[in-house]
Amino acid sequence: MPRRAADRRRRSRHWARSPWFVPLLFSGGALAVVLVMTIFPFFNTLALSFTDATMLRDGRFIGLDNFRELLSDARFGTALLNSTLYVVVVVPLIVLLPLILATLVAGDGKLLGFFRTAYYVPVVMSAVVVGLIWTNLLERRGLINETLQWLQVLTEPIPFLTDRWLLLFAAMFVTVWMGLGYYMVIYLAALASIDPSLYDAAAMDGAGVVRTFMAVTMPGVRNTMMLVAMFSSVAAFRVFGEVYVLTDGTGGPGGGVVTMTMLIQREGTGLQARTGYAGAISLVMFVVLAVLLMLQIIVQNREGRKA
Amino acid sequence: MTQKITRRTALTGTAATVTALGVSSCGIGGGSSESDPGSGEITGSIRFQTWNLKGEYEEYFTALIDAFTEENPGTEVEWIDQPAEGYQDSLSADAAAGNLPDVVDMGPEAAYSLASAGMLLDLAEADPALADQFMPSAWDAMTFSGLGGGTYGFPWYLNTGPSFFNTALFEEAGLDPQALPETYEELFEQAAAMAEISDASMIGRLPAIETFGTYGVQLMNEDETAFTFNEPRGVELLEHYVDLYQGQGFTEESLNALQTGELDSFKAGELGWLPGSSYTMQELRDTAPDVYESVAVAPAITDVAPNMYIESLTVSAQSENQSTALAFAAFVSNPENQMEFAKQAAVFPSTAGALEDEYFTEDDGTDDGAIRVQSAAQVKEAVAWWPPAFSGESSAEFLREQIAQAVLGQTTPQEALDAAVDYADQRIETRS
Repeated sequence: MPRRAADRRRRSRHWARSPWFVPLLFSGGALAVVLVMTIFPFFNTLALSFTDATMLRDGRFIGLDNFRELLSDARFGTALLNSTLYVVVVVPLIVLLPLILATLVAGDGKLLGFFRTAYYVPVVMSAVVVGLIWTNLLERRGLINETLQWLQVLTEPIPFLTDRWLLLFAAMFVTVWMGLGYYMVIYLAALASIDPSLYDAAAMDGAGVVRTFMAVTMPGVRNTMMLVAMFSSVAAFRVFGEVYVLTDGTGGPGGGVVTMTMLIQREGTGLQARTGYAGAISLVMFVVLAVLLMLQIIVQNREGRKA
Repeated sequence: MTQKITRRTALTGTAATVTALGVSSCGIGGGSSESDPGSGEITGSIRFQTWNLKGEYEEYFTALIDAFTEENPGTEVEWIDQPAEGYQDSLSADAAAGNLPDVVDMGPEAAYSLASAGMLLDLAEADPALADQFMPSAWDAMTFSGLGGGTYGFPWYLNTGPSFFNTALFEEAGLDPQALPETYEELFEQAAAMAEISDASMIGRLPAIETFGTYGVQLMNEDETAFTFNEPRGVELLEHYVDLYQGQGFTEESLNALQTGELDSFKAGELGWLPGSSYTMQELRDTAPDVYESVAVAPAITDVAPNMYIESLTVSAQSENQSTALAFAAFVSNPENQMEFAKQAAVFPSTAGALEDEYFTEDDGTDDGAIRVQSAAQVKEAVAWWPPAFSGESSAEFLREQIAQAVLGQTTPQEALDAAVDYADQRIETRS
């Protein structure tokens, strides 16, 4: 035994004296992935955004010309508006609805387990499949319109997939529907960390369901709510799949439902791609998201100090 | 239609005849590759890339490659077939990486983009005599005035399609199914009449760039350096669509519809007119038998000349075995091999005089035979209206969006077309 302990100490001293590159051996793989997949593309995009590069031609430095063009590009204005609206509408829903859902399905029991699984199913489906399901439900001859007309609730079908705003809200609905299960699971984990005695105390004080939710549950998962808000803000601003599928890749009538990522995809792919211009849109998107996240972190810190 | 030419579009024509003729009836054409258009030795290995052809035509291409390599000892051809989706992305990735295959199957827009970046060989320069082997309209479609008049692809297979009409809807609307529209004026008149009486629409999709061509709009200036489809005739075409929409002549769905959506609406019995092909006839027969019963076929609607789609074989300017690549592209597109492929794939050959073959002139009494003969006659008159400089999806999407905005009254037809022309012109500038 003493000999083994001495060996361990010797090995330990050996590692303590090990060359500088040893830590790199452990972190090298992950570091390489981050460098190649994140850091390099970021700086490459940054550089591209100040050039007139195309897919087939290296660019020349053109200063802020791409950004000036963005200001006069009506499609960029539409995309920025749509993506911003997406954040404004989707994020509050994604923060609150899964929490309510998690509160309802928390606990033991086969029935609750069934619902937890059922709510999680959309999470494992691809955005394309979900989009196709909802396209079939929402189109003019889809299940929803046909049913409502059969019930004589409607005389004319609702143009879910052709009216700009209805189409945008339909896509938001699909995004929320898809995200419910994922964020519900996150909230379930957070709910488990709330001291059950707080619920007992609230019950003894005569607090109802709503009061308990507001006074115990929400404060108990505040940090998780902020986390969900951050995750969902980024996801909502970068929305692509749902809108792409619901509009069959067209961005809706007149391109009215195009989002930032769809615009980047249009400008940045294909033989005629304007990679410099697409890079400029990406950079604007990065700045907007960075500002959004910073604001959320500031709010979170302020709330944390108050608490 | 997304305004991009899909594989299905390109491979439509006389589909049912594929099985009728069969592979067994003909071997791979014995067209010689001895007349090497290049000057070097035909040897070494090359890569040949096609667009979603392996599934159905593997036997044909394997035999074709074997025939070439047997005729040219010392050569090897590696056949790569890319899937239908994302073909342009695959081409752009290869091109950007300097890894373009030696012989590549592509349409004129892709060829224009690559040629403007100096990545394709000017075939006319390599061998001026090549032009005589092809139909002038096909050769012209691959000759780019905007790039100094070079020809950057061997015309390969062509396609076009007739108009399909749902005569039941014509009768419902009190229109004469014996007097089907053949010009745009007749189409718009009958569409308006149908809208007044019936819930059905005549038109299911917004006009694409080739629609402007078939309407007689001047699409580009003479030297093909700038677009001109915002000229009065173009505005007039758009005004017809605006009027028709206001008169409920087509639905809101049409503003957003691609080719598949238009086909679905026709199959659902909601559309009076479908610009299609004989593949459409087969599809109607299989998937919409009710509509098939009342379908009538008529020549494509045009005020000038019908549209045709063209697929070409290009040769990479960076090919290490350029002579072999040239010889192989010439071999694949020679009259015998084109005819054989046309019969198997239900497309039309682009070689001079090929459409005079009795296969394309004699009706065998079937629906498909009639459409094949009618379409072949149409190909002879057809023009590839899509300007190669009209850069693929982005310009096509922008045009569709602008037209939709004009139809919805958010902008005027003139403003919409001005914006689309500006956008398309900018795309030319970014490539120059």
